[in-house]
Amino acid sequence: MTTVDGILYGLQVVFTYQNLLAALAGALAGTMIGVLPGIGPVAGIAMILPITYSLGPTAGIIMMAGIFYGAMYGGSTTAILINMPGESASVMTCIDGYKLTQKGRAGAVLTIVALGSFVGGTVAVAGVMLFAPALGQFGILFGPAEFFALTAGGLMILSRISGGTLAAGLFPMAIGIMLSTVGQEAVTGYNRFTFGFNDLSQGIELVALVVGLYGLAEIMLVVETVHRRVRPVKVGLRDMMPTRTEFRRSWAPAGRGTIIGFIFGLLPGPAATLSSFASYRLEKAVSKHRHEIGEGAIEGVAGPETANNAAATSSMVPLLALGIPFNAITALMLAALMVHGIQPGPLLIPNHPEIFWGVIVSMYVGNLVLLFLNIPLIGVWVSMLRVPAYIFLPLIVVLAVIGSYSVRNSIFDVYIFLLVGIIGYVLRKLEFQLAPMVIGMVLGPLIEKHLREGLFMSLGEVSVFVNSPIAITIWILVLIIMTFGIQRALLERLFGIKLGKVALGGNE
Amino acid sequence: MNSFAKSTLAIIIAGAALSAGVATAQEYPSRDITFLVPYNPGGATDPVSRQFASQLEKILRVNVNVENRPGGSGTIGLGVIVRSKPDGYTIGLSDIGALAYQPLINSGLAYKTPDDYQPIVKLSEQPIVLVVRADARWKNFDEFLAEAKKNPGKMRVGVNGLRTAPDLVIQQFNKVSGTRIVTVPFSGGGGEATIAVLGGRIEAMANSGAGNLGHVRAGTLRALAVFTKGKYEPFPDATPVGDSYDATLGSAFYVVGPKGMPPNVLNKVSSAALQVVKSEEFLKFTKTHVYVADPKDSQEAKADILQFSKTYVDLLKFIEQR
Repeated sequence: MTTVDGILYGLQVVFTYQNLLAALAGALAGTMIGVLPGIGPVAGIAMILPITYSLGPTAGIIMMAGIFYGAMYGGSTTAILINMPGESASVMTCIDGYKLTQKGRAGAVLTIVALGSFVGGTVAVAGVMLFAPALGQFGILFGPAEFFALTAGGLMILSRISGGTLAAGLFPMAIGIMLSTVGQEAVTGYNRFTFGFNDLSQGIELVALVVGLYGLAEIMLVVETVHRRVRPVKVGLRDMMPTRTEFRRSWAPAGRGTIIGFIFGLLPGPAATLSSFASYRLEKAVSKHRHEIGEGAIEGVAGPETANNAAATSSMVPLLALGIPFNAITALMLAALMVHGIQPGPLLIPNHPEIFWGVIVSMYVGNLVLLFLNIPLIGVWVSMLRVPAYIFLPLIVVLAVIGSYSVRNSIFDVYIFLLVGIIGYVLRKLEFQLAPMVIGMVLGPLIEKHLREGLFMSLGEVSVFVNSPIAITIWILVLIIMTFGIQRALLERLFGIKLGKVALGGNE
Repeated sequence: MNSFAKSTLAIIIAGAALSAGVATAQEYPSRDITFLVPYNPGGATDPVSRQFASQLEKILRVNVNVENRPGGSGTIGLGVIVRSKPDGYTIGLSDIGALAYQPLINSGLAYKTPDDYQPIVKLSEQPIVLVVRADARWKNFDEFLAEAKKNPGKMRVGVNGLRTAPDLVIQQFNKVSGTRIVTVPFSGGGGEATIAVLGGRIEAMANSGAGNLGHVRAGTLRALAVFTKGKYEPFPDATPVGDSYDATLGSAFYVVGPKGMPPNVLNKVSSAALQVVKSEEFLKFTKTHVYVADPKDSQEAKADILQFSKTYVDLLKFIEQR
């Protein structure tokens, strides 16, 4: 089937009463799930999974995909408005998004995010459509050695992600890594650091940690100084619209974010979250306004928010082309297919073209719907900031508790949420950066896992980590980025060359 | 409080008292049953749980609500079941790993033996299938085994975590055949082991058949062996290892409840459960989802779990000796 035939076929599939409704309902539910702090796409899709069992397989997948990318649209809303990420892929958005809100640009930022998400999502769909089977093979190139380089190298590069002093970033990152080791360890199933509490063997849930660390801590800070709270003036149409400069500064980060997100989506792991980290870091390095990033620059929002949408979309490739789920969300989609007796695998696209093309076309439709849905909603979200604090803040806490609970139906996670909230408050008071803690929590287990898998696989031979061309390339890149400051100093000292344009070294 | 509110309140209280009275007088089940699944939706356990719950609903004529309570290799959710009130309103699925293997390595659990909980019915089993890349040099299991015997400790089989069902059956095979096949644990869903085989990083992988059926049918992976006695229908070309070696450990799924359920409640729920697993509809479901039906009542299920326990103890001794 050629691409044109495919699209026409996909249109036929999507424009049936059931499938169109599934796409719209999914996109809407996704936006809601994204907006509600703590309830992320994984919990959201898990909740509706039983419903999709009763739908057909095509409608089921269309709806779940809608929730996934819909959540990427909505997830940034609370991050930008109240410094509380809707899900872990929006952690980076907090930093600059919230600062911009404090400057009164909330409406404009949300508009940029909606547009960026649309661009990232739509471009990625086109990529998936044109190259899906070939791109499926890309993931196979990555084994434990390559992933170890990517994650361990990534941790090094990301350690300075949110500025501040070295200790302000490294200390929370170390805490994040340590927290991630609590619980039943994935390789052998033995319990670590559970101190005899069976509840701890399930580990510290990332969602509870993120919502507590940011949300609860932020609320405590707000309560402490109520006048600190942002009180936006009435948001007119003009405040909603980004200025010409904001537009101009956004398109390059959005473009880079699309590419980063698309590539991460093809690889195993929490692609949307990782790609938002990578995009933020890249903007800090190459953007013209990199000095402003961290202080409220539109680049720090446009890049990561575009990246996570592109990643959400392209992570459909390994599922549809290989039948292998690379993250928790596509694993749920796989289950929805298998419930209907459909065997995912390389034959899915030829044998079930209605699923592949139906999903592709539904993503075009869904993204369009989300754009038109989200732009008018921005006014509503921004005006929520005008709700009196004594109503607004308790409401947010209640929602965050529900969110923390719902991921694993676990009251223990609510306790974690409360505890981490206090820790986050203290860390914020001491001027530590919080983003590195989340990064440590996300990357720590991945690094350990790939290190151990690699050693098991090579029967204990350490050289496995530098035996692959891809791994070596990644390590060299990491080295170049890490030592950029020294390189520049050397060049200046020895040859008098001034490098002003790019600053890969981080804390410039 | 005005009179309207007062009278409303009175009605509500009276109603509550009345319904409570009715509930105790009524026969089990008189309200919704919670069916806990100790894994995330998306695993092998979720579809079979929902199928079972929907059929149980029809027989008992109350709602059976499926709730996922993942974590700790299924021990967290099972712990919730074990500690729940034994009134028949909280039951759930468990698998042989959480029931019989975890207590051997984990002392902090709420249960140790089948005496600490109530087995209700055995749902199904899932045998382990050994697959290699389609263009691998071993055309059948005998060739694979010959090379494994020639190079002890060199043939690598990917599994989804150490001491999971695929790992244990490979260890069992090592034990009975005197081979030394190495297992490489890939945690995180089993997909990564498939990638490692497809990418040629390891020689083979072992997992429950469902995950790789698509690749085997597409001709990108080849199923060499299945650890069962007799042919395994979804993989007709795979050598049944159980015919020549005593290595048939797989996954097995049960429905369990807390111990101390009143006899009338236990009878009702276990006979309904047995009726479900023996039904045409359930057998058809297990077939399309690559499970092997193995209906057993609560007594047989308990004996089954104890048998697994014994095998695990022996196997652990063997693994630790090496």
